[in-house]
This record gives sequence, structure tokens and C-alpha cells, in this order.
Amino acid sequence: MTNITLRIHLDELCLSADISQEAIIEVVEYGIVTPLEGDTLSEWVFDLESAHWIKKAIKLNQQLQIDWLATAMVIELMKKQQELIKENKQLKVRLSRLL
Amino acid sequence: MEFKDYYQILGVDENAELTEIKKAYRRLALKFHPDMNPDEGAEEKFKQVAEAYEVLKDDTKRAEYDEMKRYGSSSSKNFEAPPGWQPSGDFGAGNSGSSANYSEFFNSFFAGGQKGFSHAGQQEPDLFKGQDLEMEVPVFLEESVSGTTKNLEYLVPEFDGRQTQQIKKSLIVKIPQGISDGERIRVKGQGAPGQGAVNSKNTLNGDLFLHIRLVPHPLFDVQGINLLLTLPLTPWEAALGTKLEVPTLDGKINLNIPPNSCSGKKLRIKGKGLKSKTSQGDLLTILKIDIPPSTTSETKKLWEQLSEIEQYNPRADWSN
Repeated sequence: MTNITLRIHLDELCLSADISQEAIIEVVEYGIVTPLEGDTLSEWVFDLESAHWIKKAIKLNQQLQIDWLATAMVIELMKKQQELIKENKQLKVRLSRLL
Repeated sequence: MEFKDYYQILGVDENAELTEIKKAYRRLALKFHPDMNPDEGAEEKFKQVAEAYEVLKDDTKRAEYDEMKRYGSSSSKNFEAPPGWQPSGDFGAGNSGSSANYSEFFNSFFAGGQKGFSHAGQQEPDLFKGQDLEMEVPVFLEESVSGTTKNLEYLVPEFDGRQTQQIKKSLIVKIPQGISDGERIRVKGQGAPGQGAVNSKNTLNGDLFLHIRLVPHPLFDVQGINLLLTLPLTPWEAALGTKLEVPTLDGKINLNIPPNSCSGKKLRIKGKGLKSKTSQGDLLTILKIDIPPSTTSETKKLWEQLSEIEQYNPRADWSN
């Protein structure tokens, strides 16, 4: 049986995703994600959903060469789109039960 | 190996200034980035564009590429570098992604560590983190309530320094109790192996991220920690009230339907929803009134009698 985790510490995230602390600080400062816990940088812990968005934000920032403000906007819209797709799917299922 | 015409991929002239190359890359990256473009083939196109930019944005790499293009074999399908050609730069894969994403051409001439050239020298391979993998895992509602184990089979890209091969891997993973739709689970070290993994311990495997997808249940819908159940009723059950046996996730219970219940009314059954760390959800039954699909002459007569006696007009609020 394999060990699983549902959260990730800043250091581990930097190492596992090969990203810099500075980039993660930008992602947090622009409000793209919020650490699950940790008052100081060295204590930051993220849930895996946040870790997913951190990686995506840094990738978009580098690959599309856009600034952090634009990255934050893109990620916000992507999150919103994902939520709406999920909600739409659920509502369709519920509607089919009522018809 | 196949020669890559990076200028053609970016759609720029061979004498293009760096600003022009940058502009072309940005335009194409926005067009083909997999997060922006879901079309089939867009991701592959993006990789080619990123690879071309990785080389052309760097003066040293570009100069070597130009030299190779000028003096190398003219056959694009079976390209060979000029005789005695040797890369001078200690090229890394850059920050646009692992060189495992790039072509054999790039990895032979522009990636760090493995040069693919006899006179490149025996260098210690660089530390390359293996690619993280992500897969969707469908989970039934009952499994999310009780927790379960899943036997997963997936393909792991293994890069041998020249090309990437897909290796089948299987894994048993414990899905924790209370997992919800969209949650992610990290399985450490079960992603792609780090580059140079064959001969070196100086590598770091990627992780496997599982993205949980709750399979739609035939009866229940999930709304946060509450469950929704659509409960079909006959018109007379709704009008007269009744006592019905309704399913919950842990067996059946009796539910009183009050008289004069209308369609869409919600009846809450406390504590029969999902459990979170801090609270217990409810089961919300939503009433839905079904008319019998076929009408006999006798039932038709009864409906007619009812329409004569009952003066109720559900459209009374509508303006004339």
C-alpha cells in the first residue's frame, strides 16, 4: 500500500515541483492561493488544490511571459470556470431527475 | 533524427531580432498553450514552440543552432550534425519544462547532461526531477463515505536521454474516508523517474497526483455535506399525505409526507447526509409529483370530477 498526503509543506513543494520560494511568495502575495497554515514563510503548508494552482500559476507566468497581476487574473478566471463547469454538470443531473 | 527548423516553427526570419522572436513566441504560446487551447494537437504544437524559443532566445544556443543548420546534413528526416561538431555551452533544459518534453533533436544538442555525442565527454548527469503525473480517479459515493482502496494502472513516461517511452505501472492506493469531488491526493515518488535514473541515484522521482471525481449516484446528489434525493410522488400521495420508505446511504427509513405537499418541497432528514471533520450533513428529499403515464376511462372520469369540484387556479397570480 502506498503512502498518500493531502497537504504539502513549502520546502517540499519547492523541491517536488522544482520551483523557487520567491515564485511561491508572489503567488501568495497576489492572492492566488492562501497557505492552509503557518504564520511565517518557513511554516507555510498548502492543501493540494492550492499546490495545483501554485504550479499552474508559475507555469503560466513563465511560459506565457505574463506578469503576476495578469497571472492572478487568469487563475481567478480558470478557478471560476472550473467551478461553473462543475456546478453546471451537477445542475444538469438534478434537472434530469426532475423532468 | 529529425531536424527541427526552429525559425519556421516560430514563423520568424533567420535574421530576426530577439524582440521579434519573443513576440512570435508570446503570440504562439497564447494560441497553443494547453490551458488556453483544448484542441487536440495544441499541446504538441506548444511544446514545439517552447522548444524553439528555448534555443532561439539564448544567444549561445542560437549561434550553435545556426551553425548546425548551415553546415549540417541537408536531410531533415535523418539529420546529422557537421563533422566534429561539439556543443560548447553547458545547456540545461531551462525553465520552460523538463527536457523530457522536448524532441530528440533538442535533447541531443541542447539539453544538459546527456549530449548524445561521442566527444561530449563523460559527464556526471545533472539532477533532473521526474515529471509529476496527474490522473483522474473515479470514486463512488459509498466509497467516499467509507474510504476505499483503488488499484490504479497508469503510464509513466521514462526518458532514456534520447526519447521518452511509456511504461505501464500499477499501484494500490488508499482513498481516505470523507474524500470529496475535486480533491487531490499526492502519492509521493510515484510519478516519472528523474532523468539519469538508470545508472544514477542522483535523481528525484516525480509525484503522482490523483484528482478525485465522484461518480454520479443513481439516487443521490451531493451538495456540500448534504445529500439530495428526488422523491417521486403520485398526485394523491402529495394531496393526501402518506408514509413512505425512502433510501439513505445506510439503509431505508420511514418518511412522513404531509398532506398538500407541492412539487419542489424539501423535507429534511437530519443527520443522514455526509460527514465532515466538524459536522454531519442532512438528507434533503425534494418532492416531485408524477402524473400516471396512461389514463383509463375510469381515472379520466375521476380527474374530471375533481376539476369540477376544485376551483384552485395555479395561474391566478398571472396578470391578464
